[in-house]
Amino acid sequence: MSILHNNLTRRRSLALAAGALAVALGATACGGDSTSAPALPGKPAAGGDSVQAVIDAAPVATDAEIPAGSTMEAIRKRGELIIGGSLDAPLLAQQNPVSGQIEGFDADLAKLLAKYIIGKPEVKTVTIGTQTREAILQAKSVDAVFQTYTITPQRATQVAFAGPYLTSGLAVAVRKDETSIKSAKDLNGKTVIVGANTPAVTALPQVAPDAKQVAFATDPQAIQALLQNRGDAYVQDLTLLASGAKSNPGMKVVGEPFTSEPYGIGINREDAQFKEFVNNWLKKIQADGTWAKVWKATLGSVVEGDAPTPPVIGSVEGS
Amino acid sequence: MDALTAHLSVLGHGLVTTVQLTVVTTIGAMLLGIVVATLRISPVPLLRTIGTLYVEVLQNLPLLALLVLFVFALPQIGIQFPLFTSAAIVIAAYQGAYLAEAIRAGINTVGKGQAEAARAIGLTFSQSLRYVILPQGLRAVIQPIGNICIALLMNTSLAAAVGVVELTQAANNVNLVEAQPILIFTGAGLAYMLLALIIGQFTGLLERRLAIVR
Amino acid sequence: MNQTQQILFDEPGPRARRRIRIATVIGAVALVGALIAAVQQFASHGELAWSRWEPFTTWPIWRYLLNGLWATLKAAAATAVLSGAFGLLLALGRLSPNRPLRWLAGAYVEIFRTVPALLLIYVTLFALPAYGLNFPLFWKLVVPLVVSNAAAFAEIFRAGIQALDRGQTEAGLAVGLRRSQVMRLVVLPQALLQLAPSLVSQLVGLLKDTSLGFVVSYTELLYSGQVLSTYTQLLIQTFLVVSLIYLAVNASLSKFARVLQARNGRLTGRGRVAAGPDAPTPATSAPSTSATSTSTASSPDPTSPSTSPDPTSPSSTEGSTAR
Repeated sequence: MSILHNNLTRRRSLALAAGALAVALGATACGGDSTSAPALPGKPAAGGDSVQAVIDAAPVATDAEIPAGSTMEAIRKRGELIIGGSLDAPLLAQQNPVSGQIEGFDADLAKLLAKYIIGKPEVKTVTIGTQTREAILQAKSVDAVFQTYTITPQRATQVAFAGPYLTSGLAVAVRKDETSIKSAKDLNGKTVIVGANTPAVTALPQVAPDAKQVAFATDPQAIQALLQNRGDAYVQDLTLLASGAKSNPGMKVVGEPFTSEPYGIGINREDAQFKEFVNNWLKKIQADGTWAKVWKATLGSVVEGDAPTPPVIGSVEGS
Repeated sequence: MDALTAHLSVLGHGLVTTVQLTVVTTIGAMLLGIVVATLRISPVPLLRTIGTLYVEVLQNLPLLALLVLFVFALPQIGIQFPLFTSAAIVIAAYQGAYLAEAIRAGINTVGKGQAEAARAIGLTFSQSLRYVILPQGLRAVIQPIGNICIALLMNTSLAAAVGVVELTQAANNVNLVEAQPILIFTGAGLAYMLLALIIGQFTGLLERRLAIVR
Repeated sequence: MNQTQQILFDEPGPRARRRIRIATVIGAVALVGALIAAVQQFASHGELAWSRWEPFTTWPIWRYLLNGLWATLKAAAATAVLSGAFGLLLALGRLSPNRPLRWLAGAYVEIFRTVPALLLIYVTLFALPAYGLNFPLFWKLVVPLVVSNAAAFAEIFRAGIQALDRGQTEAGLAVGLRRSQVMRLVVLPQALLQLAPSLVSQLVGLLKDTSLGFVVSYTELLYSGQVLSTYTQLLIQTFLVVSLIYLAVNASLSKFARVLQARNGRLTGRGRVAAGPDAPTPATSAPSTSATSTSTASSPDPTSPSTSPDPTSPSSTEGSTAR
């Protein structure tokens, strides 16, 4: 066999294999419509239909509120709101693999804002890392950041915050049979599990400077680590812990939240007009009960009781 | 520079962890590599299959997936190690697969006359491997082994996925506070380059002393 | 098994065969026993409960994972093409007679071979946006991987080119071709053919590198698995399934590499029969990467005359054909 012939056969079979692969992938990617969501163990409902009803009933801005040349007008013309957010934050912004939609409190608020500006809840989520939020807002790559973005005076020098739209706090979770840890103060000298790049990383040393931190990338990993005795406690946002405790009987939340985290909507610092617009919108949905309904459908599904009173806009330094 | 000096202890700790991890996993991987290479050429078919499976599975899985499975899934079977040990075991096993292949290649380069002579003077399988084949085979593949060690150094940066704070994660943590990414990550990069340089020099030294010139 | 390996032990006689059979049976029983014990332990923690595995029998979940796989393949393809091309340029640069070019290319390769890909991704993610360089998500993953893998490819190409028989270059020059023509028409086609298995191995490593997508939140397969695991709260099952998918894809690529290797051996007609189609050579056992490392790892070296004599063939003029 000549070298040339072998070359050709090889190239042909390569092309054939590549073609077959492409066809197979194309078929899988295009085919199949979504069936109903599978029954998932321990997964708290993220609202789904009830949230859709809330969004359908949500207010839309009048033309008077959207002056020419403003960011809002640009968004309306574009037809979608571009936000920075997450895909794997349960109850806040979790992508549903079945529908491809992002569900959760942060995600739903973004949809409501989009509906308010455009008339339809068209949102495009750009996943961003927590360390790049300021840079991305300054570069105007996104219109806003909905990512449990804690308002701090330090950050307020680089970006503007609308809100706060939710107040939460860090709490402590331990294994069911743990008795020695009752609050954050008892964490000194213990091994504490935290989520990587969460506020817990910086907040923990302030209340328990001698605690040893072990960081994991996702919430399920951290919970597994706690249950496997890789740490004595897990410090995370209260609602996430409550959700975890609901699905994992082996852990429990102890004590009260030891920090207060006011979450704001990140906005470009120069855009005072947009900030005012978003604040007005927040006031509106707080007043007409939309905020509470969304809360109940998402975070409220794991916490007992009614929706809390929404935080007062502008009440936190930096907002 | 302040950003770096202010957090020298954190970064230093990370560097020490990286070095510790690299040293431990290198030794582990070398041992595993020799064992698995031997398995792959042993007379017992079952052992050969085990060796082949080991290499196939570990070379074709991403290290991240292996780490997560080892740290989170294995305890469900009742096997649980501390995080550093887990990371060390997984990385050693992973690189061990590559080392096994390199060592097997080295064994292949040993002339068949050597094996014949070893058998002729009455050495058994393990004896001929130990006294005749492996010493020559290993010396032939020092450079590839050195490269695998550098790859190992690079892979230790993944241990952060299971909570081990090595140099890259330490740099990341410092950056969270200082927000000076260029300075901090360049510093970390330089540290890695230095470590790789050391490994390279060591490999070169070994090679000059031991390499077989054919 | 090659001839060296086959000589290491005599053909087993009847007693040895019996012993081997007994050892095999005992070994197999022990292994199976251990496996069963492990599975039972697994089940006792409830990990084998149908409710935990049921989501993976539904099409939407598989569609989500397959979309992740598609994203992985896209990223891997883009990285492979770009870093391959860039790597080739770097290799040619390192071999060029132009001293500054050689130095520049050499510096690039030495630097980026020894820096973890993860670190480069952090730089792209955190450092560059501050300077206005905010890439779209796909490129946030691909650019650092290209930078890293180009160095690895450069080493592979350089070794392959240098391993080619000098006679080819000399013949080309003697016939009157310019250096660049010799490279383009004579050396590269042959070198690339020889290197095909190494290149495919590097491709496998590159594919595993894309699993770093979770750092930039690019929904490739591993990150999709992560998102899925936070949705379903099924950490272990999700990662097991994702690992199986990776195994399937990479194993087929590796098999492809071995097929190429075998065809190379037959094609060139040279090379030691002893090596057999299954024997690895340091060139193809490049661990390069695995999910990050980039440092080329062993690929180019055994065949690079600049470092050590070619260990894979007795005579250094045979090039890297010993397969």
